[in-house]
Amino acid sequence: MVYEVFARKSRGEPLRHIGALDAPNDELARVYAYQTYDEERWFDMWVTPRDRLLEVFNADRGPGVGI
Amino acid sequence: MSVLETATEAKELSAAARHATRDLILVLADSKRLLGMRYAEWLLGAPELEAGIACASMAQDEWGHARLFYAMLRDFGEDVDQLEHGRGPDEYASMEVLDREPASWPALVALNAFVDTALSVQCEALRGSSYAPLAQRVEKLLDEERFHAAHGGAWFRRLAGATAAARAEMGAATAAVLPGVLRWFGPDSERARLLVDEGIVAASGGALRDRFLERISPLLAALGEAGGAFEAPSFAGFDETRRRASAGGPDEATVARIRGDRNRIFRTDG
Repeated sequence: MVYEVFARKSRGEPLRHIGALDAPNDELARVYAYQTYDEERWFDMWVTPRDRLLEVFNADRGPGVGI
Repeated sequence: MSVLETATEAKELSAAARHATRDLILVLADSKRLLGMRYAEWLLGAPELEAGIACASMAQDEWGHARLFYAMLRDFGEDVDQLEHGRGPDEYASMEVLDREPASWPALVALNAFVDTALSVQCEALRGSSYAPLAQRVEKLLDEERFHAAHGGAWFRRLAGATAAARAEMGAATAAVLPGVLRWFGPDSERARLLVDEGIVAASGGALRDRFLERISPLLAALGEAGGAFEAPSFAGFDETRRRASAGGPDEATVARIRGDRNRIFRTDG
């Protein structure tokens, strides 16, 4: 499963997308995210399965389904 | 409990405590160097790219910790360069289960889950050490180790929960590694008690072994029947200075690599 990785360098800063990775489950996704992107000093880091990201709007296609 | 003096230098320790502390630091340095090499061997060939990256990251951490521990031995009158580059296999004080390259991914996962955790349990006992250099450095090191345990545990559970064949292999790898790790904590000897009495470590021997067993009990439970039972270790022939029961050390090829033999001539800074 593909997971998207987000992080920020300080409290209050917006979350930034920093990459993606493949993992079989949430537990390993968190470990892999930390160990893949640990060269910077992050304030926090998050992962989410790509298929849980819901599109709201796209300039080319217009509003997402269901809006 | 008496109020313990804090020592900022090794020379402030009693002779007996100084020797035992020096031995303990070398055990940690050598074990972390060997464990780092075992991780590095899986940089390529791990079951998925991300696991290889995780191994590279853990290898870097372990080698960093090893270097830090070796450097601490200067305060004990040791020649650090000689320790890192000049010793034969039987002078290493690394954990015996690290002597040979793990033959399979489950064998590496067993090292990750058990050896890494055992080293952390030992390091946790140094948090409030009366030898200040240990107390000062161990916290950052333990912080980095959290994700090693998470990686080992996640993979262990994944293999234990997969097919019957994978669970059996994880069980066999556990049976190959765990007795040696349990023995590594050592007996409740006079030497072990001395380190506790002098405040160098918060606990030793059986107390640390129990702490370790408690920490890994969820993993053993995940194996179910493939886990089997583990007996209390025997300390026949156990050398407390090197924390090993066998006289040898890591195999020659391993030692040649961690010493950096092949490219020795390019060390031109000496």
